[in-house]
Amino acid sequence: MAKTDKDMLDDQMLDAFFDAARSEVTELSAGLVSAILADAAAHQPGAAGRGVSDGRDTRQQPNVWSRITSAIGGWPALAGMATATLAGVWIGFAAPTQLETLSGGLVLSGEYAANEEVYALEDMAPSYFGTAFLMEDDG
Amino acid sequence: MEMALDAYAGASDDTLLVLYGNGDPMAAELLTRRLVPRVLGYATRLLGGDRAEAEDVAQEAMLRLWKIAPDWRTGEAKVSTWLFRVVSNLCTDRLRKRRTVDIDAIEEPQDDAPGAVDRMIQSDRAAALQQALNALPERQRMAVTLRHIEGATNPEIAEIMEISTEAVESLTARGKKALAVALAGRREELGYGKD
Repeated sequence: MAKTDKDMLDDQMLDAFFDAARSEVTELSAGLVSAILADAAAHQPGAAGRGVSDGRDTRQQPNVWSRITSAIGGWPALAGMATATLAGVWIGFAAPTQLETLSGGLVLSGEYAANEEVYALEDMAPSYFGTAFLMEDDG
Repeated sequence: MEMALDAYAGASDDTLLVLYGNGDPMAAELLTRRLVPRVLGYATRLLGGDRAEAEDVAQEAMLRLWKIAPDWRTGEAKVSTWLFRVVSNLCTDRLRKRRTVDIDAIEEPQDDAPGAVDRMIQSDRAAALQQALNALPERQRMAVTLRHIEGATNPEIAEIMEISTEAVESLTARGKKALAVALAGRREELGYGKD
């Protein structure tokens, strides 16, 4: 049997019911939110995976370092190397007189050559030849 | 915290789920606050107004979402559609179990809610609608709720219920007609008068 108008609500009236239902705001209880977030934290693969890889990363970096260090001979060896490096730098800058003397002015020249003496060839030659023949031009 | 949540406010559900899968701690909270009120309201309606059971369903559905996050393929399905489908199936399971246990539990929401006849308010209409929805066959209730309360489109409902859009149209039409009949008897009580 077909329904008459009086037996049914029209669309407009029915929509008023739907509007009423839509206007009801579903408030979340704190308990539900925390339970859902606890589940989320427990099953978060990225967080768990990242936690593991983080640990691995932080362990890996010192490992690379410590491997290099131990190959050289540990921290004392590194300290020795550092001292030697600094000594090299100091020699480069300070140009000690002894160095200039030994090299006969070949290493450093100009104003760096603090010593007036410049070695001549005979200074280098073995003494048993004498120096006369080397300087015979001078008479 | 609030600022961080604000920064994510424009992100799609899809994006947030991927962020969650990548270990972002903020994404879960934002997804929860965005999606759970909707599916909780939907589950409550499907379950005849049983809020406690609807909360169980919502939590279970979200748990499944967290678990599927690493395998989620962006762009293939909307997160909300997927979640509504899970909620629909969970509610169907629970209603089936209920039928075998206690059939009366579904039919009695807050029937004592209406106040004085001339002080009809929105919540009374919503309660009356819920009662009428409870009397509908389960699939009609689902389709009508999704279409007219949750505002889903017919193709979305088809995806959620895993049926054709023609079947959705048929379900919503029959459901709506049944509601119109069921509520007609309460027209006066609900503040519309006899005409």
